[in-house]
Amino acid sequence: MATYTLRRILQMIPLLLVISLIIYALTALQPGDPVDQLTLGNSQITPADIARLRAAYGLDQPIFLRYFYWLVQALHGDFGWSRSFSQPAFQYVFQNRLPNTLLLTVPALILALLVAVPLGIYSAVRQYSLPDYVLTFLSFLAFSTPVFWLGPMVLWLFAIYLPGITNGVISLPPGGLGSPDLDPTTASTWAIIADKIKYLILPLCVLAFREIAVILRFMRANMLEVLSQDYVRTARAKGLPGGVVVYKHALRNAIIPIITLLGLAIPGLFGGAVITETVFSWPGMGRVILEGLVNKDFNVVLAALTFIALLTLIFSLLADLAYAAVDPRIRYD
Amino acid sequence: MKSTKTLLALSLLLLGVAVAGPANNSLVVGTSQEPPNIYDPWQTNNLAITSEINGYMGASLVSKDNAGDLYADIATTVPTLANGGYKLTKNAAGDVTSNSVTYSIRKDAKWSDGSAITPKDFQFWLKVEQDDRVPVPSRDPWDKAKITVNDADTFTITYNPPYLFADQVSPGLAPSASMASAWNSFDSATAKLDSKTSGKAINDAWVKFISAFTTANNLPKVVAGPFRPTQWRSGNSLTMTRNPNYWRTPKGGADKYVQTVQYRFIPNTNTLKVNVLSGQIDALSAVGPTFDQGLDLQRSERGKYKTYFVPSATWEHIDINGFSNVQKVKDLDLDDKRVRQALLYSIDRAALTKALFQGKQPVSNTFVNPIAKLYKKDAKAYDFDPAKAKALFADAGWKPGADGILAKNGKKFSLNFTTTAGNATRERVQQILQAQWKAVGVDVNIQNYPSSVVFAQDFIGGGSNGKWDMLMYAWTADPSLEKGNLFSSTQIPTAANGFAGQDEPGWKNAEYDKLWTQAGTEFDLAARVKLFDRMQTIWADEVPSLPLYFRVNVYTKVPNLLNYTFSAYSLYPSWDAYEIGWSSKGAAEVNTQK
Repeated sequence: MATYTLRRILQMIPLLLVISLIIYALTALQPGDPVDQLTLGNSQITPADIARLRAAYGLDQPIFLRYFYWLVQALHGDFGWSRSFSQPAFQYVFQNRLPNTLLLTVPALILALLVAVPLGIYSAVRQYSLPDYVLTFLSFLAFSTPVFWLGPMVLWLFAIYLPGITNGVISLPPGGLGSPDLDPTTASTWAIIADKIKYLILPLCVLAFREIAVILRFMRANMLEVLSQDYVRTARAKGLPGGVVVYKHALRNAIIPIITLLGLAIPGLFGGAVITETVFSWPGMGRVILEGLVNKDFNVVLAALTFIALLTLIFSLLADLAYAAVDPRIRYD
Repeated sequence: MKSTKTLLALSLLLLGVAVAGPANNSLVVGTSQEPPNIYDPWQTNNLAITSEINGYMGASLVSKDNAGDLYADIATTVPTLANGGYKLTKNAAGDVTSNSVTYSIRKDAKWSDGSAITPKDFQFWLKVEQDDRVPVPSRDPWDKAKITVNDADTFTITYNPPYLFADQVSPGLAPSASMASAWNSFDSATAKLDSKTSGKAINDAWVKFISAFTTANNLPKVVAGPFRPTQWRSGNSLTMTRNPNYWRTPKGGADKYVQTVQYRFIPNTNTLKVNVLSGQIDALSAVGPTFDQGLDLQRSERGKYKTYFVPSATWEHIDINGFSNVQKVKDLDLDDKRVRQALLYSIDRAALTKALFQGKQPVSNTFVNPIAKLYKKDAKAYDFDPAKAKALFADAGWKPGADGILAKNGKKFSLNFTTTAGNATRERVQQILQAQWKAVGVDVNIQNYPSSVVFAQDFIGGGSNGKWDMLMYAWTADPSLEKGNLFSSTQIPTAANGFAGQDEPGWKNAEYDKLWTQAGTEFDLAARVKLFDRMQTIWADEVPSLPLYFRVNVYTKVPNLLNYTFSAYSLYPSWDAYEIGWSSKGAAEVNTQK
């Protein structure tokens, strides 16, 4: 296991280099650069000004040379300067935005698991029953509901319609990270936590909505497969109670593939939160990628995407290792 | 008791009770953009939101009000030819060889730390602005300016060669005392570096310098305007509070006017709209919703807020590729003015603006803003006339084929029409125009790209490479500083000049160029109006671009909020920040939105 783990970690290095090159090329080769934004609409700007600005931003160098300089800097922990946010890209992404995304995605994943796993089991155990049909219908509905539509609808419901009907008793803020009126230096910890929860509820639910559907379908399918296996039939034939068969024997095996799903869901959530974060004005990693691309702030995009790539590699390794830990049939030695 | 209070506070927060507005004499503004930095005296980014927010914290010698008239802020009076503050130096032939403006600083003009604003602060600003190492987008006109200090409060800025709008603009200022040490560090760190070969290293040093004064982590330490920044939660909000050292006092006393201004950064304009509807924000920034969203907001007002559509300085138009070296341009005769005129006669712009914009965005007939003094009111209008369009096409040899599409020498009149993909308004305009052109036999193929592609210099400036046939987009220009640059042949983008320059259609007209050169050194407004009259006549006859309309800016504000106004001259509602207030708090109305 140790040899396998070490080999996988070593494999990650060239893989990450290739990924970083691809990410760099994809961002650098897209049309337009930051100087275009400065020149747009500025009829005073001269060709000499444009050349001067390109040189100042290092955009006059060939792309491979630019990548090389960036890589050397990145290996020293310096991901360059963010022009959009006026601070080091690394600092901005990891200190400013990453905590917000973790605050949104981790509870969303936990919520999704807490809701989807029991529902998936329930749906499988009562296959072709009315609750199974209802859950199947709802999960397909969740699959096919785009976040860019669901987000605004939820906002309208909680920020406009419900307060209108309930005279303001049920209202949640329409986006943002917290009340700007709340001064963190003077407010009590409870007030800060309550304020954060208030702003977190809607984006968290929207982000968890689709994850619930994915995990529920996965859980149901795994459970059905396990329930049809011989050892389950044997257990039932031996007269074990239904609950023991399902929760003690079947569940343990049915839940193993969920580990793979979770391994990839965590990095996926970082990228997948783009729309949720944008709709709810939640300043997280997803939004930073979008804003970075729109503003041609490539250093931020590179820092964020490289981090997500690294996260994907790490979590896929952890998922494989966890697989071996929970499934005695899998051995990596 | 304490726990009861905590519980009450908790309940109020969970119930989402909004506390903004007149209750605590604050103002909450929603915007879709967040500035990268604020109060950078050299404005090294050109984002509108930065300029708007800087308006609260900045002061200027002289500024423009909603009518485009200058008023004095830091200066004691507006320098003019009449009062001798503005001077023209002429040679024997009567040509202006240089010009100068003399400013007197008010005795009570202070920085927010209480220190006096002096000519040194303007000298420091100019020195940095002119420094090759500083990445200001354009140094015009400051590259030809020089400051001479006359006494402790008075200085003269001289332009040599002369600057046409010297009396309309004023130099910036920077807190020289608080920035001196950091500037000296930048200066010594980069003194030996060559700006041509070590551009990036110099820029890195510059960024280190300016970031110490302008970012969310390092808020501006000393400002000059009516508000000073107090908290910036990156990605969420920026708070500014009233600066007690600001010198102009609103009617009745500053305590009757807004004491804090909060900007909430909400990048998704639909979410921004929900914030207006739910009463979370008092007013929208000039950088906010789209026109369509403005119409939606207007429909849902119910007395809670009012929606305004302010004529802007943004000109929406369609450039026609006029580069004769491009085969398709030659094949379709796009370099023939009769064809361009026919394309303009074929479309009903009046009906279009009425249908899509309820007439709020008026049809334009020239590139000059209708509110500018140089605007030609009677420029050729090209009212919708399909018969005339067909006649002009026929004149140029284009006859309808069996399928109704115009044809000549075996070639069909079929061209690509490009704009920024995803811009719903432009895409709707495209579809209407496509149908109208089809009616006269012009086959238009819509071929859109994301704005990042369209506005990349090698695409928008790539007319000479045949990158586009017709391109719809907008230009923004201060109506009082109109130079006619957009259509000077000196501004034609080519491979040789790295596709820089703004004459994207590649239009070249000798008489226009001559008049443009003359207008560039004509200091008499009446004479310049005459030159522009002729320039617009030529332009309207040649139609290198199809003029569509001048856009409006949409914003909302709650009814009780006063003096939150702007125009195409003042540009942002922050121009008169010190007088923004709530009527219920005793603020007096001095500006109404037109």
